[in-house]
Amino acid sequence: MRERKPRLFFSFAATAAAMEAERLCREAGLPGRLVPVPRQITAGCGLAWMTEPAEGERVRAFLTERGAAYQDCVLLDF
Amino acid sequence: MITVNAMGDACPLPVVKTLNAIKGLRGPECVETLVDNPTAVENLRRLAQSRGCSFSSEKRGEAEYRVLLGVSAEAELPAEEAPACYIPPAKKRVVVAVTADHMGEGDPKLGRTLLKGFLFALGQLEELPAVILFYNGGAALSCEGSESLEDLKALEGRGVEILTCGTCLNFYGLSEKLRVGGVTNMYSIVETLAGADLVLRP
Repeated sequence: MRERKPRLFFSFAATAAAMEAERLCREAGLPGRLVPVPRQITAGCGLAWMTEPAEGERVRAFLTERGAAYQDCVLLDF
Repeated sequence: MITVNAMGDACPLPVVKTLNAIKGLRGPECVETLVDNPTAVENLRRLAQSRGCSFSSEKRGEAEYRVLLGVSAEAELPAEEAPACYIPPAKKRVVVAVTADHMGEGDPKLGRTLLKGFLFALGQLEELPAVILFYNGGAALSCEGSESLEDLKALEGRGVEILTCGTCLNFYGLSEKLRVGGVTNMYSIVETLAGADLVLRP
C-alpha cells in the first residue's frame, strides 16, 4: 500500500493548457509534475500539475504571472 | 451469549464449531466466534447469510477477529452437512506491455503525455501488475532521459518486474542507457505474455 499525503493539484480548462503549464514549470525548475487528475477532482481536462502544498503559493504566482490560467487548485490526500 | 474459540483452527473448523454452537441453542441467542484470519470471518459471514442470522465482525488485533452471529427464532436450523471450505481466488497475473513511447494514436506529444500519466496511474492501483514489458519504441521509457524513470523505480521497489527487450535496446542504441529493471529476450517476452491472465497495452 502506497503512502498517501497531502498534495496540491492545479487543474486546467484544456489539455493543451496543462501541457503548456508543464513546459513552463519545468523550464523554470518549479517542483511538481503533470499527472492525470485524481477522481476526487472534477474540473476541466484530465491533467493537473501536482506539487507539494508548501510550494502552492510559488506555483500559483508563477502560473498567474506567465498567463497559464489554471482552473482550480485543490488540496488532496493522494 | 455463547463463545466459540476458533483461534488457530484451520478451515472449516471455525464454521463447524459455530454450527455446533448454533445447534445447541434453545432459542434466539448470540454466538460469538473468535478467529485469527479474515477468510474465516468471510466463511462465517456466508454461514450467517445462508442461515438467516445477523452478522457483525470486528478486528481486535493483528490476527484476532470477533464475529457475532445473531440467531433468531426464524433462523434456519443447520442441516447435517459438511460446510464447504472457501479458498480465496488466486490473484490475477496482470502484465503491462508498453510497445511505443506514446499512448494511443494521434498527436505524438499528447501520446507521450498520456503514457507518462498511464505509468504514474499504474502506481495508484491497489493490485499492482506483476510485470511491465517494454519493447520497440517503448524501450525508451526505461532508459536515461525518460520522464517515467522515477515512477518505474518506485513500481520496481514495490515488487513489479520491469523488463526491456534487449534487441530493441540494441536497435535504438540504448543498450548502455537502461536505468531501471532488467533486459529480456523474445522467449521470455512470449512466455510472460502467454502466462498472463490479463495483458494491458496502453
